[in-house]
Amino acid sequence: MDFNFTEEQEQLRDAVRRWASKAYTFERRRATERSGGFDRGAWSEMAALGLCGLYVPEAHSGMGMGPVEGMVVMQELGRGMVLEPLGQSLISGAVIAGYGDAATQAQWLPGIAAGEAIVSLAYQERAARYRLEQCEARATQVPGGYVLSGSKSVVPIGDIADAFVVSAKVNSQLALFLVERLSSGVTTRGYGTQDGSRAAEVHFKNAPALLLTMQGREALEHAVDVGIAAACAEGVGVMEQTLDATAQYMNTRQQFGVAIASFQALRHRVADMKMQLELARSMGFYASLKLNAPAPERRAAMARAKYQLGVSMRFVGQQAVQLHGGIGVTDDYIVSHYFKKLTQLEMTYGDTLHHLGEVAERMQDTAGVFA
Amino acid sequence: MDLAFTPEEQQFRDDIRSWVRANLPADIAHKVHNALHLSRDDMQRWARILGKQGWLGHGWPKAFGGPGWSAVQKHLFEEECALAGAPRVVPFGPVMVAPVIMAFGNTEQQQRFLPGIASGDVWWSQGYSEPGSGSDLASVKTRAQRVGDHYVVNGQKTWTTLGQYGDWIFCLVRTSTEGKPQTGISFLLIDMQSPGVTVRPIILLDGAHEVNEVFFDNVRVPAENLIGEENKGWTYAKHLLSHERTNIADVNRAKRELERLKRIAKHEGVYDPRTGGSAAMRFRDEIAKLEVDVVALEMMVLRVLSAEKSGKNPLDIAGLLKIRGSEIQQRYSELMMLAAGPFALPLIREAMEAGWQGDQIGGFPGGATHCAPLASTYFNMRKTTIYGGSNEVQRNIVSQVVLG
Repeated sequence: MDFNFTEEQEQLRDAVRRWASKAYTFERRRATERSGGFDRGAWSEMAALGLCGLYVPEAHSGMGMGPVEGMVVMQELGRGMVLEPLGQSLISGAVIAGYGDAATQAQWLPGIAAGEAIVSLAYQERAARYRLEQCEARATQVPGGYVLSGSKSVVPIGDIADAFVVSAKVNSQLALFLVERLSSGVTTRGYGTQDGSRAAEVHFKNAPALLLTMQGREALEHAVDVGIAAACAEGVGVMEQTLDATAQYMNTRQQFGVAIASFQALRHRVADMKMQLELARSMGFYASLKLNAPAPERRAAMARAKYQLGVSMRFVGQQAVQLHGGIGVTDDYIVSHYFKKLTQLEMTYGDTLHHLGEVAERMQDTAGVFA
Repeated sequence: MDLAFTPEEQQFRDDIRSWVRANLPADIAHKVHNALHLSRDDMQRWARILGKQGWLGHGWPKAFGGPGWSAVQKHLFEEECALAGAPRVVPFGPVMVAPVIMAFGNTEQQQRFLPGIASGDVWWSQGYSEPGSGSDLASVKTRAQRVGDHYVVNGQKTWTTLGQYGDWIFCLVRTSTEGKPQTGISFLLIDMQSPGVTVRPIILLDGAHEVNEVFFDNVRVPAENLIGEENKGWTYAKHLLSHERTNIADVNRAKRELERLKRIAKHEGVYDPRTGGSAAMRFRDEIAKLEVDVVALEMMVLRVLSAEKSGKNPLDIAGLLKIRGSEIQQRYSELMMLAAGPFALPLIREAMEAGWQGDQIGGFPGGATHCAPLASTYFNMRKTTIYGGSNEVQRNIVSQVVLG
């Protein structure tokens, strides 16, 4: 039982924090948001730091690192409000390394690590909400492989990614495929999302598809859990900055001749925000430390963590806006952007009510971290 | 970073578990598991069993006859005791006054008082709160006037938990009215058998005699019972309050009680939506929320322990632990009562005693015969967000850390 970071992990944190605070300024973020929500330059810079290959094995030119490093990195990207979805690299790195055959690994992993191949998880469907088992996309075997048909919604950087990890059913069994965006039968319609980043509707019509695994349910759950742990860490980073900004503002802003930080009603709200941040940080640790656990244990842990993060992110975001008053609802000031980011993170990979249902479903007679 | 305890820590846990299993009297565990009334004898019997093993002062360093356990070992010990259904150790002697005597008492005082605390033979009470003092502890008014080789104490303490059993009481008393309120306070040990000490019960909303008023009317206390220096008592009191930072969250009891809540909900038909329908679904969601709350609290406690273990900067989240721990205590007791519904309402005091064989209203998992303890416990638990520095005072402290 030890929650200290190693020296290497601290160095990794420093490197990412340095990059995010120096190179990824609020102005650069705004420019990226205006030009569509994705900056390939920033992506290359993250790749140069080794981040895109964090979960890619060293044999495929990646860093071969684990969930704790993933957490450290995502927390810093959260603090830096980075728009580019590094979580997709973590997911595709983990899924292809975990479920792809040797040829697929050799073909895709070095490119993912180098930041040259961007692979995004395309699993959400209009009728499925957050349920992973519900899937209307179908794949059928044809000479030389599979073709895949169906539509996926709100796919991160869906009109930019080079390929997708796609869930589809073969007969009645869920499977995961790799589909390249420029293949025949793939069309995308991109748009900005509420947090300033980018996503797309992706349609497949008899698109050539490479089978990753027929254990689709297991692999998709794993993929989403990698995403959940990343989102939890990212959320903690955003909340740290949100609380910092709020504290600073309250010590500066004068009302009735004094700093508003002197009002007890507001101070108690800040104490409640700190509570939510520390609960979230604790559950972020929990998620990362359970990411390599056997599937049932891992799934239960992710549901607990994402539920806590959802509660915390909504509270911290809403209260930060409230405590800022009018300036909190302007586009000029960063707090509204924190709030939108936290909101989007809550609604990614299952929102709070969804995960409450998951927790309730999986409840055992025992209780606690080690139960 | 690693969630698992080390093999040595696991072994330690296993050893403690076997020992508790072999030594905790079954009748006491039964009462704890069913929230039945614990008598003075129950509490002291367990204290003496621990004392004999040298574990009543389980947080004590070896130099004073304690086991010298690490923060993690202490946590594991408390967890195993809680899960097995051991009563909480009455903290006033071994957890509160003993560390003050060790840190600030003289050798004579240490030799005189510590053995009785360690064995569980001497029952200590806490004399901090006064009428009107609330969470503002420094407003102490009880006067101790030096007359020759004695102090003469006049005043009143209140909310003295289990003071009706107390042999001794440690008190904050005012020895000076000069300067700031904090500077004129002294730390005095008083024999409760002394002439002029009167203990009067305060009956709480659940009907229980748990707390008392203690009156001091010209009580003569030998000057040798003063801990440390006169007027330095506030420093010693703060030392006491900073002790056992994670203990206040009481997460181990929360785990035990959450398991009990699930058993009760199951028994009352509000746990399984397949049989209990939408009412069960709503109730199960509430338990699920509490389940996450308990895991998150335990993770916070483990973070504090880890920081202590590695000797790095202590995490400044003790206030958060108190707030969250007390809220959780209130919540599980609330949900237990709500699970029983109308069957929690009959007020039959005899049903709080083990072995009661009266009317079976409701019935109750675990061998007890009645749902009565559920409402009583709920009412009783309202104290947890008030005592030990109210949660509002804790929020002041937490906001100080964030806002300055």
